[in-house]
Amino acid sequence: MTEKRGRTAWALAVIVPALFLGALLIGRYGVHVGEALCALFGGADEIVRALVLRVRLPRVLAAACVGANLAVTGATFQGIFRNPLVDSRILGVSAGAAFGAALALLLSAGPLGLQASAFAFALVAVGLVVLIGLRFGSAPLILVVGGILVSAFFTALLGLVKYVADPLSSLPAITYWLLGGLSDARWETMVPLLAITGVGLPFFVAVRWRLNVLTLSDSEAAALGVPVRGLRVAVLGVGTLLVAVSVAVGGIIGWIGLVVPHVARAWVGPDHGKLIPVSFALGAGTLLVLDTIARTALPSEIPLGVLTGLFGVPAFLLLFLRFLRTRGEAR
Amino acid sequence: MRAHRWIVSALVVACGVWWWTFGDTVEVVDQAGETVRVERPVERVASVYGIGTYYLYALGVGDRLVAGWYVGLKSLSQASETMLRFEPELEELMNYGDPNVEEILALDVDLVLADGSQHAAFAEQMSDLGVPTIQCLVESLDEMREAIRLTGEAFGDDASERGEALTADLDRVLERIRDDLADLPEADRARVLFVGTSSLQIASGDMYQTELIDLAGGQSVAGDLIGSWNEVNLEQILLWNPDVIVIAPYGPVQPSDLLDSPDWAAVAAVRDGRVVRMPRLIAPMDTPVPESLLGVLWLADALYPDLVSLDLRGEAAAFYADYYGLDLTDAELDLLAGE
Repeated sequence: MTEKRGRTAWALAVIVPALFLGALLIGRYGVHVGEALCALFGGADEIVRALVLRVRLPRVLAAACVGANLAVTGATFQGIFRNPLVDSRILGVSAGAAFGAALALLLSAGPLGLQASAFAFALVAVGLVVLIGLRFGSAPLILVVGGILVSAFFTALLGLVKYVADPLSSLPAITYWLLGGLSDARWETMVPLLAITGVGLPFFVAVRWRLNVLTLSDSEAAALGVPVRGLRVAVLGVGTLLVAVSVAVGGIIGWIGLVVPHVARAWVGPDHGKLIPVSFALGAGTLLVLDTIARTALPSEIPLGVLTGLFGVPAFLLLFLRFLRTRGEAR
Repeated sequence: MRAHRWIVSALVVACGVWWWTFGDTVEVVDQAGETVRVERPVERVASVYGIGTYYLYALGVGDRLVAGWYVGLKSLSQASETMLRFEPELEELMNYGDPNVEEILALDVDLVLADGSQHAAFAEQMSDLGVPTIQCLVESLDEMREAIRLTGEAFGDDASERGEALTADLDRVLERIRDDLADLPEADRARVLFVGTSSLQIASGDMYQTELIDLAGGQSVAGDLIGSWNEVNLEQILLWNPDVIVIAPYGPVQPSDLLDSPDWAAVAAVRDGRVVRMPRLIAPMDTPVPESLLGVLWLADALYPDLVSLDLRGEAAAFYADYYGLDLTDAELDLLAGE
């Protein structure tokens, strides 16, 4: 049955690129489809070309990258930590990035400074969790608890930054950033995201078959003769970079990293060989759709984190009910 | 004769009782609808409303401040040289953040000025403790006039007169601008985008900034937005295609950020080089402070330099001298006039 479902998932290879192209053609500024396509190939008038190539294209690309990154790392982390409620933010990445971003906004650093600060503090947060792991043992439970503690710590620091922020200027900026959104996506600010995604995602796709081993306990994996420790460190490291850069660009965008992997698992089963590519495509596709809504539904931006929450929560509830029903634990 | 004497005595006693109970107090209905009983003279006042603090200066009672909140200022290091010349005691006076009831009570003040949108609970507590607290609710020019009027009323005659002079001045400037622009066809009114602390944060139609644009003869392209600052995307700005972009006098955005950006190059205001940042001497002129009188004039001058007949430098010099007791230097006037 999973075999058959696996085959239907190939449809994503057509659907996601179609969504990508569709997102490029849709926007509040009414551009004729033909004209927008012309702009993609260097035609059309100046304003349409600027609109499609400088405004829409980087943003649509950012949406696809961030969605794919969050979903793929979420799927992987759920496996590594053997915990279905884990998402890509489990190691404190979001809380660290949120504090870093707020600090940068407080100090009026520019867009690149903001990104750098968010990224740096995301890594600091994960570093602290790793220190906790090194001191107390790196069992999944310890890392999960470490992640919760470090997140809580940075959330408290974030509260402090918000408290001292100027209510006229930096406080609204911090609030907006925390709600998540890609309106700042420009070519000039996208280099880190594209670079890290360009290396990180192919890495996950390449090692996807071996990820299954990571869901086993260390002794079981050792019995299979797989160097599990090195692989786990590499996966956690690359995953952290992917999440950190995504959060640094897009702010706090929840639920993608939790719900999309579950949808993918319900579709193609738990084998990472299929789970990773399907999470990749579903994550990218979901965020492409939601971000298109975020930038076109109203004259002002709808915060992306709000949309992912509004869609993610019911989706999660449905999946959860389905899961309970299969176990006969729900009506 | 004897009856007369009785009546006179009774009247004198009645007047005395009246004076003793009501004579030195005035009842003010504040903008939250609360009746506040203020005992005059008000000699010590605290303003926890960062905008209202400037009403006190304009009313000539700034020297009675014992603690003040200052809009857009959170540390002494941010204060400009002009600000320090205007209020040399800023270091002792200025506060920041949520006001503390006990802290304010300990100051032994006769009156507190608060922001009804933030400090309703605080105002209630202060009133319960017997400290008269006036709540202002200001997000329009009329509401600013009312706030200045009722604050003046609490202080008494001199302050009230200064408040009236200020609103009369405001009317004079607004009328002059209206007259100057009377012949401007509706279609030629500049379409203005007001940008906040990031280039994609836009003032909504509900905000004071939009009213200022309107009074300055422009029209806000974002008038349909509601609430506070709205986050928009560049595509929406291209769609609005404003003639002029005005940047708020706080935050990191500078005209060059937009003028030099290839992403913004297709926007009419950027193409025509009409991107300006509002200058700032003391309080930000785009908030409902008394200086917003100059804010309107500055905006009108920026939108229609050839039509506006009032002299910005002269008006500014007179305003600061009359209401803030401050003589501006040439450099400060240059800054205001963008020279």
